[in-house]
Amino acid sequence: MSTVESRDVRGSRDAAPVIGTGMDRVDGARKTAGAAGYPSDVQLPGQTHAALVQSTVAAGRIRTLETAAAEASPGVLTVMTHRNAPRLPDGPMTALGASPPAPLRDDRILHHGQHIALVVAETPEQAAAAARLVRVTYDTSDPVLGLDDPRAERMDNPWGMDADRGDPAEAVRTAEAKVSGTWTTPDNTNNPLGLFATVAVWERDALTVHDSTQWPTMGRVTLAKVFDVPESAVRVLAPYVGGAFGAGLRVWPHVILAALAARVLRRPVKLVLTRAQMFTSVGHRPSTVQHLTVASTGTGELVALDHRCTSGVAMEDDDFEPCAATSALAYACPNVITRDVQLRLNIPDPTSMRAPAVGQGNFALESALDELAHSLSTDPLELRLRNYAAEHPGNGLPWSSNALRECYEAGAERFGWSRRDPEPRSMRDGDELVGYGMAGVSYPWYAQPCKARATVNSDGSAFVRSAATDIGTGTYTVMTQVSADTLGIPPGRVRFDLGDSDMPQSPQAGGSGLTGALATAVRDACRGVLGRILDLVRDDSESPLRGCTIGDVTVGGGRMHLRGRPAEGESYADILARHGQVEVTADGASTPADAAELGMAPAGAFGAKFVEVRVDADLGVIRVPRVVSAIDGGQILNEKTARSQIIGGTVGGIGQALFEETVTDAGTGRIANATFGDYLVPVNADVTQMDVLFVGDPDRATPLGTKGVGEIGLVGIAAAVANAVHHATGTRVRSLPVTLDQLL
Amino acid sequence: MAEALSQRRAAGFAPEAPVELHVNGRRHRLHLDARVTLLDALRDSLGLTGTKKGCDQGTCGACTVHADGRRVLSCLTLAAQCEGREVTTIEGLTAPDGGPHPLQESFVRHDAFQCGYCTPGQIMSAAALLEEGRADSDEDVREFMSGNLCRCGAYTNIVAAVRDVAAAGGADASV
Repeated sequence: MSTVESRDVRGSRDAAPVIGTGMDRVDGARKTAGAAGYPSDVQLPGQTHAALVQSTVAAGRIRTLETAAAEASPGVLTVMTHRNAPRLPDGPMTALGASPPAPLRDDRILHHGQHIALVVAETPEQAAAAARLVRVTYDTSDPVLGLDDPRAERMDNPWGMDADRGDPAEAVRTAEAKVSGTWTTPDNTNNPLGLFATVAVWERDALTVHDSTQWPTMGRVTLAKVFDVPESAVRVLAPYVGGAFGAGLRVWPHVILAALAARVLRRPVKLVLTRAQMFTSVGHRPSTVQHLTVASTGTGELVALDHRCTSGVAMEDDDFEPCAATSALAYACPNVITRDVQLRLNIPDPTSMRAPAVGQGNFALESALDELAHSLSTDPLELRLRNYAAEHPGNGLPWSSNALRECYEAGAERFGWSRRDPEPRSMRDGDELVGYGMAGVSYPWYAQPCKARATVNSDGSAFVRSAATDIGTGTYTVMTQVSADTLGIPPGRVRFDLGDSDMPQSPQAGGSGLTGALATAVRDACRGVLGRILDLVRDDSESPLRGCTIGDVTVGGGRMHLRGRPAEGESYADILARHGQVEVTADGASTPADAAELGMAPAGAFGAKFVEVRVDADLGVIRVPRVVSAIDGGQILNEKTARSQIIGGTVGGIGQALFEETVTDAGTGRIANATFGDYLVPVNADVTQMDVLFVGDPDRATPLGTKGVGEIGLVGIAAAVANAVHHATGTRVRSLPVTLDQLL
Repeated sequence: MAEALSQRRAAGFAPEAPVELHVNGRRHRLHLDARVTLLDALRDSLGLTGTKKGCDQGTCGACTVHADGRRVLSCLTLAAQCEGREVTTIEGLTAPDGGPHPLQESFVRHDAFQCGYCTPGQIMSAAALLEEGRADSDEDVREFMSGNLCRCGAYTNIVAAVRDVAAAGGADASV
């Protein structure tokens, strides 16, 4: 299925490398046995159970709040509201923006579904039953809900990422061809299968929280500030997370509430969100209205790009969603303007959802380019190739890696793009109209500092750890591989652990940035251990390795030997035993690549997506029988899990393209489809052939050559589907999801 | 577990009833709030947390278990309804020799999961498909596994994993 470019990026070793191979997941046996412990599986002695009461209006103030009946209900231990809850400070600024405001601050209602009380009882049934007994009345005001509401407070350039190059207005005016239009994307909800859960327990002044988070390190910092305790007194645990797709990037109000209740009651508190609460409590991909103009020469060379995007954010919260900004870096185009605008609305706060901002912005950009190609009678693939950005469009530096051309070429070949008749409605198979569509993707580079710790034990096994998370991405497995190859210890004797804020600090699983940052830190820690083992034998007359540096030795099979002289070496176990060491440990770290220092622009992943759609000629039913994704992900650490990331993202992209739309009632701000029965996501029958090709070389900006692949799988699918639907039917759909009613 | 039960009693709950559950070949005598679902009884009272709650509304399939050999959504089944029925959960799913069920190994080999949360339900559904003879084509597996949502999007690998076991002879296969 896939081809993986490999090169020796691991230093000197003499066993077959496991990096790049499709090693089975190291946590696979536990997950398939039901033995992996997710936060919702945690049960502590004396544990109590909490249930949320949420606002049923979108704006106003609480007039009356009657809790007596709930408090008198069997098993109820407390009912916390803004009237009796201790005031808490907001969490700190994070790498992704401000923390959510503290819960239960006052009587104001800012969105439908806002938490207004927490009921804690001995059992989940008692808590849920009592929560229904809390009586609330409101003084309501007219909520600001739509991106077209003139009352909405407007924030221009909220992330300082607006781009200006050249003179786009003049270039558009004089261009030989142009496409101008408005594209819209709806609210989507992350909806991981795992209901978000928090189990909080205080022991004296120390807080332990089991939580559905992608970022234990940030959780610890945040909870320490909110509860005014030292960071060392807070521990956040997330060894397994039932998916998150961005929803786990923040310490949400319900997490604070659970920890607060546990402190008040001096007992463990468990809070598991309901599926409906997953729509209002842990973020969503915000809807966008995007005005976009692309202009070109008569032969399709882009001369101007003008992309303006408006999205919503909660009244007093934060979200990073620069949808237009990423268009400035996708193509070689001399005249560019991007403008991102956020409007304050009475909505639950949006947050990152797989490929945040890029997922929405790419739909408009790649749809517009398809329209431009069609207007010029140019093959859409050819149009992309003509506008390939050989250098980084923002700073003009050479890319640290860029195989986007190869993505286009290899993907087109695999897909059979040359069989495409350019005329819309020209390809038919029985009752079905057949359409081919494609899109390109340039995913932004992202990196954060990361730390890891590695230990070689006296029995020759290794233990490597960092406070990262594995939300299904394969982090446990690929970091086991990196550790095994760097230390020269078979993967079966390496334990990589994560999901614990007591471990060395890690950035979030997000932004497609974890693998690069963590792999570099893990490698650094493992090399540190090798150095310390060599320190042990520096003056050891019994060791053939005495006086050696790391450059003099080769590792493999749990031992080190002199380069090119396999007989002259010894095992780690022997060295540690002779020197009376139980273990040898070293810390490692990584820092983000610096473009100026490198003289290169660090590159994210690139991709080309090719999609076949079939549209029932009479009924308009749309199917996606076939997707080819050609991805430049740099050095692929594990062919199997990386491929799963791409196909998983592709399924998410099919959801965005055809199914997913969170519907908010225009009058009340209530989410009208907050169930899996009403909010449609792809099911098994919606997904058939998924082909993934990995192309390109290891990236030059990271020691292991990796680039993140967690998000690029999703991006481009929506545009490629919409473009294929146009090819099949002749109908342009500029509004997601593409549904059959738009084709009739 | 005993402590949780005593807490429930201490809470003075009226609608509590004795329930005898047969799960994975073992008998459990419980006193349960009459509102407790089979899912919550398995997870909270018996500590069998392999069965997952994804929606509590019968729409995601994560809570799929077998009752008398048939797939049921344990979130839509009251524990009290299961008296006298043989319930099998992911913890009780094994090959005839007592080792891992071939589906469990096949799911790992085909990387048929990512976060793993829906996986016990997927495997329980797949095991039923094998018994029902509904795993003879990719199309059948896709159709009859469509009640089990996977938000990570592992569907194609799930189909491959199930088909591999079906082709090798189903649950009795030594794969």
